Amino acid sequence: VPFERIVVAIDGSETSFHAFAKALELAGLTKAALLALVVEGPLPAYAATIGEIDEVKREKDAFFDTLAARIRGQAGQAGVPIEVELRPGHAAELIVRYATEVGADLIVLGHKGHFLRDHVLGSTADRVAESAECPVMIVR
Amino acid sequence: MSDIAIAAVLAGTILLASTMSVELGLSVALIELFAGVVVGNAFSIDVPSWLSFIGSFAGILLTFLAGAEVDMPQFQHEWKASLSIGLVSFSAPFVIVGLLAYYGLGWNHRQVEIAGIALSTTSLAVVYAVLVETGLNRTVIGKRLMAATFVTDFGTVAALSILFVKPTLWIVPFVAVAVVLIAGLPKVSPWFFSRYGDRVIEPEIKLVFACLFLLMWLGGRANSQAVLPAFILGLVMSNHYSDHRKEQERMRVVAFSFLTPFFFLKGGMSVSAGALWANLGVLALLFAGKMVPKLAGVYPLARRFTAPHAVFTTLLMSTGLTFGTISSLYGLNAGIIDRTQFSLLIAVVVLSAIVPTAIAQRFFQPHAERELRRDGGELAADLV
Repeated sequence: VPFERIVVAIDGSETSFHAFAKALELAGLTKAALLALVVEGPLPAYAATIGEIDEVKREKDAFFDTLAARIRGQAGQAGVPIEVELRPGHAAELIVRYATEVGADLIVLGHKGHFLRDHVLGSTADRVAESAECPVMIVR
Repeated sequence: MSDIAIAAVLAGTILLASTMSVELGLSVALIELFAGVVVGNAFSIDVPSWLSFIGSFAGILLTFLAGAEVDMPQFQHEWKASLSIGLVSFSAPFVIVGLLAYYGLGWNHRQVEIAGIALSTTSLAVVYAVLVETGLNRTVIGKRLMAATFVTDFGTVAALSILFVKPTLWIVPFVAVAVVLIAGLPKVSPWFFSRYGDRVIEPEIKLVFACLFLLMWLGGRANSQAVLPAFILGLVMSNHYSDHRKEQERMRVVAFSFLTPFFFLKGGMSVSAGALWANLGVLALLFAGKMVPKLAGVYPLARRFTAPHAVFTTLLMSTGLTFGTISSLYGLNAGIIDRTQFSLLIAVVVLSAIVPTAIAQRFFQPHAERELRRDGGELAADLV
């Protein structure tokens, strides 16, 4: 399969770990570059204090830094080189924008995300599949 | 309903608001305001005196925190470029809303002043959230925006303190104590915090609370307001807090877990949904009164100082939330505005937090990495 740049989206949910495992396997088989986008989710919108933003950002950074270290470790064990990018924001638009930026030829993500907002507005996977410029693999 | 029953209802509401904030990714303050509107109107609960008291103190604490959260070194670096944007962002809507309320709505001059102040604010926190989420807080445009927002906020707290002062003799000790605290607290803090800080009994938070209560008491006796000294006290403490993040975090925990929820709930409970429904035309007029002068006044300056993202800058300078709520609540508590006027002002403040932010993010958001490259290029050109 002629994939050269695979983007995998991870938000800390169980299905995103399944997606990561598949992406890792695929990158190993095809020798594609693996780029992991760690989606931190949005900061509280319309905040009343800077403190609220700062504290949420700090908590998210701590949680997602650990997550990033974990996936780097797993990729290292599998012998697959990986680039990890952490970004806050709404999952669907973030994944599509990042994939375009890095010229991905495949996006891999879980079928159900971590954030309730994504469920309320329709699943992230559906929206990524609709608007991405490259093939999308949705993992159960 | 008894006081304890009201407290139980409000505690449950505050808990629900916090969980909804996490799940929906919305600010807890905004949800508390909405929850207050629902609880106040659905259960017809009058705001009890203990809630007013806690809410008033929380308002002053929020003002202190707003000052303490200003990045002073960044402001000192960008203030020249941001001064004109910030001043116009405050004065243009202040004047236009004032004229509109006086001639168009027949409000008296003190009500006009409250309306002008409440609708001239720019929300530092709303702007900051957008900038941090996009990474634009590291760019020149982001830094200028934050500095301009600070100028506007300073105009708001200064106007709120100065316009409504009817000084008694107590103004002398009030000003004297304010000056002593503003000059002394940053000097005393390093010693006090190193000797008594880092304890679960939190003497350092109690020191700040004691200062704020003292200012509120003296300000009340002087027929003045503690808003301006509280804000400046926060400003002079901002460097201390930036060096002692844990301390700042604990202060925020106390504020956000117990005090500020009551402030925003009280704000929401004082809103009359019926009055809003009956005055939708006035609501639209006041919203236009805030937005049009902000857009028309800030845009030409933004083109000069934050090109090519003038529209983005202008829209974010049109946001408002905390100081708009504080100003409106002051007007209501002091009997200057009635419940209908308060409801209209709060509704406009909340709309101004949401509408321009959503438009700016959806259609005009700059790309942070591209901006950083541009900033780097300009810096290199300056060096050549």
